[in-house]
Amino acid sequence: MKKYVEDLNFCGEEYVGEWTPWSPQDIRRKKCVLEAARLMVDSAFTAPFAGGVPSLEAHIVYGQEELEAIARKVEEIAHTQESWKEPFLYEAVMVRDSDVVIFLGNTRCHETPLDAGCGMCGGTLDCGYFYEQKTTKHGLVDITDRSSDKMINGPLCSARVGDLGYAVGSALWTAATLMVDARPFASMGMAGQKMGYCPNSGMVVGVPVAAKAKNPYVDVNVDYHLINMDKVLDNTRKIYQTARIIRGFDYRKWIPKPQKPAGEDD
Amino acid sequence: MGHLIGKEYCLDHLIEVAKSIVLAIHKAPQITGKTKIEAEIIWGGDLEPIIEVMGPVASVMRYVKWDYETIKNCYDKGESPVIIAIGGKISSSNLNWNCGACGFSTCKEFNAYSKEYKGGGQLGGPSCNWKVLDWAMACDWACASAWQYRVDNRIMGSVGFALNALGFLPGMDAKLGLALGPPRDMVYYNREEMHKSMSYEMDKRDMVSCVPTMFTAFPGGGTPMYKTKDDWWAPPEFMGVGYSPEVMEVYQQVLFEQVPELVVKHADKIAERYKKK
Repeated sequence: MKKYVEDLNFCGEEYVGEWTPWSPQDIRRKKCVLEAARLMVDSAFTAPFAGGVPSLEAHIVYGQEELEAIARKVEEIAHTQESWKEPFLYEAVMVRDSDVVIFLGNTRCHETPLDAGCGMCGGTLDCGYFYEQKTTKHGLVDITDRSSDKMINGPLCSARVGDLGYAVGSALWTAATLMVDARPFASMGMAGQKMGYCPNSGMVVGVPVAAKAKNPYVDVNVDYHLINMDKVLDNTRKIYQTARIIRGFDYRKWIPKPQKPAGEDD
Repeated sequence: MGHLIGKEYCLDHLIEVAKSIVLAIHKAPQITGKTKIEAEIIWGGDLEPIIEVMGPVASVMRYVKWDYETIKNCYDKGESPVIIAIGGKISSSNLNWNCGACGFSTCKEFNAYSKEYKGGGQLGGPSCNWKVLDWAMACDWACASAWQYRVDNRIMGSVGFALNALGFLPGMDAKLGLALGPPRDMVYYNREEMHKSMSYEMDKRDMVSCVPTMFTAFPGGGTPMYKTKDDWWAPPEFMGVGYSPEVMEVYQQVLFEQVPELVVKHADKIAERYKKK
């Protein structure tokens, strides 16, 4: 067995900062968030589940290209439905502003229901509502045909969906305890599921996590997809450069100064 | 000046803790931001209707029996648990997301179906699954909050069934009950209250019924023997599957006779409470 070798050279320094994005100091900060995200996922796995049955899977995603891909998928989904358009476009911005995105999915809600006849899915005294809309043999659900004209291939076992809610809740409780910012999102969950994250799940929730001066998931302005920090910075780059070139002087020879009040000598 | 001795004040304080937990329930994050959540704190004599309704269900459902006897034993000993009823308005969708998670292509179709079948299940239903998530997160925050106060607790569908049947939280579609305390370790896990209520033989019978693969002998013959005793081969025993009129009769009696009788006994008084509010 490999023996743990302890590093006793215990000294060093780590400069951590939020600015500039993707600088070494920012990446160190993001790594702290990653540790928090991992603890959040641990909490999710200890959440109360009906019958104590394991039914959770998780993906932790980070990195500039990885988050950009999720954001673009959210934007793609946003344009498929009017009721999603505006909120989901806002939420795509939030993905880009996040440090880590956690996906939590339930692996049983579409295939191996609780089978307790609770009626939460269809309001009946048995599980017929679920099974009658699935391809089954002897109560075994055939999920091999994964095509669907709907975003989520329902119906789902709502008791299992409830278990997913407990998992998300526990992850968020830990985020609150650790004082990192996090919120649950349907848009990111659907995007993640379509991208193949939580591959065995029937329903997925996205939980972005960040540790920044401003919580990325609250207090947004109207048209947030058009007016946000990335866009403000890019517009600054667009405007300021041009503002520079419409004036001209050789700073080594002369720099304009404020005009002196009348009567004062040079 | 003063001092507090014994457990009496702890039981009183459970109610204060429950109030803090209700704050966490309402603070819980939501995905939709549009799911209505309500909570109610119940203790002492007001638990009696809930315990009574759980009684007959406990006779046919083992997990309900465990919850029922734990709560009842504590109550009978003067160590009343406090129950937080947590309800969610989840049987209709005001999202217009048309995501398909409920089984319908549009929220409009789901709402039309829900109008007809609402409340038909033991725990309510039908449900918008995004709202189920919101409600479940609120329930989870209740549990997490209780653990932060180091109060033994368990979220219970069995209590949820009783709350539903009796008409607690009338505006809510789905309900669960979070049982809190009494103040000691392992009330709802390991279940000291249940000691000696299950024999070794009963445990073994249960395991054979519920986890038969553990006890299946060579299946190559197509009709395997089951290891139901130490010398399981002499004589061998086999398992059968079939409709049981006896079991169904008991279920019918519980669901359609005994529970409704108890509901009739208590429902008016409980409904009156909400009218006053």
